[in-house]
Amino acid sequence: MADLFRHAWAIARKDLVLEFRTRTAIMSAAVFTALVLVVFNFGRDPTAIPTLTIAPSILWVTFSFAGMLALNRAFQLELENSALDGLLLAPISRFSLYLGKLAANLVFVATVETIGLLLFALFFDVPLQRIVGPLVGVIALATVGFIAVGTLFSAMVIRTRFAELMLPVLLLPFLIPPLVWAVQATGQLFAARPLSEVAGALKLLAAYDIVFVTLATLLFPATVDQ
Amino acid sequence: MSLVQRGRWVTLVGLALLAGVYVRALVFTPVELHQGPAQKIFYVHVPAAWSAMLAMGLVGVASILYLLVKDARYDRFAAASAEVGTAFSLVMLTTGPIWAKPIWGTWWTWDARLTLTLFLFFLFLGYLLLRGAVTDVGLRARYSAVLGICGLVLLPFIHLSVYLFRTLHPMPIVLKPSAPSLPGVMLATLLFSVGVFTLLYVGFVMQRYGIGDRGEGGGTHA
Amino acid sequence: MPETVPPNGAYMVAAYTIAAVILLFYTITLWRRGRTPRS
Repeated sequence: MADLFRHAWAIARKDLVLEFRTRTAIMSAAVFTALVLVVFNFGRDPTAIPTLTIAPSILWVTFSFAGMLALNRAFQLELENSALDGLLLAPISRFSLYLGKLAANLVFVATVETIGLLLFALFFDVPLQRIVGPLVGVIALATVGFIAVGTLFSAMVIRTRFAELMLPVLLLPFLIPPLVWAVQATGQLFAARPLSEVAGALKLLAAYDIVFVTLATLLFPATVDQ
Repeated sequence: MSLVQRGRWVTLVGLALLAGVYVRALVFTPVELHQGPAQKIFYVHVPAAWSAMLAMGLVGVASILYLLVKDARYDRFAAASAEVGTAFSLVMLTTGPIWAKPIWGTWWTWDARLTLTLFLFFLFLGYLLLRGAVTDVGLRARYSAVLGICGLVLLPFIHLSVYLFRTLHPMPIVLKPSAPSLPGVMLATLLFSVGVFTLLYVGFVMQRYGIGDRGEGGGTHA
Repeated sequence: MPETVPPNGAYMVAAYTIAAVILLFYTITLWRRGRTPRS
């Protein structure tokens, strides 16, 4: 059990060191996030729709795109250098491999989301100071569920044709439940509703996370083993 | 007689009985007073939805069995069931809005059940697209089994998410399709139709299973 | 029939037709795929 997490950590660290040394992917993702936010700014009529009404949608659509983009990268590097075969030969369990990949993806997406959230507050003048704690909780819970399934699928789609297109097609249905609850909770937070109203959505997000992290961990070996 | 041929006969019997369902629904089942003749769409819509759900459920079960015992027949069955399920989903998704327009006054609403059926259709499409995008037979079987299982687990969550979402933000004037207690004649017609659609599902799957790999443009063994 | 019954029979005809067309079309598709041997 201790080995499981130790190996997972080693995998995650390897990915992250590689990532932050080159910084190409993370920079691209951050710039992409900024551009999506800018597009949203011009994609609405500010005199007709108050910002706060569509702020949750803007935030979550941006995060969805950014997450999707980040996932495409997860196994790409491994495949390009045939490093995946080496990893599979290493004496570590498949569960460690999955959890490590998941952790690396989460750190990557969290970094992009942090940048996105700051830009979002800046561009759309949303007062975040009051609600930053609960909002980070909502974002974290929604991201874990989404990225858990995404990490599993990205291990599959890299070996298919049209991988870049296949991932969103397969993954978007799995994004719906977390998205629905996250948008709802975010809207309530922006509207300064009491925290107790958000608790329901948080519980549902947590349930989704538990179910899909478990399921994806159990199913992952089937996607890499012969 | 091969499986494909037997499947054809089952399908033909199913289609003949479907004509029987039409006759029974149109001639021998009373018109509902508030909804008018459009209510009779119910007799094809609900059984189609039943068959589509059955197909998805069996895709999930076959996927689990495949990953447990790695028998290619389960994969073949899952592929057949998914394709047949797509056809039934299409019936469900076309007849649904045609019923909703005169009764609810709109072709489409994001009602919990509607959204669920739409995503059922998307899952089937994604499943078939994934199968088409993998050439290696073993890889294709394992990947689609993973997706089949995830899809089955996802459906209750989608229903839950939309259901809670919409009850918190009520729609303006949408009549809720509360399960009405049906008069005996209508219930009998519905059950007859459900039986016929199940038979059609069986016939289609037998044919599709018999056709096997040919339906997917072959594949390479690695 | 009482006069209060809404005249929406056209929708019913459309739905029944579409359902039959889809199922027949799929039957024909399967038939053809099952008949042509693998080349």
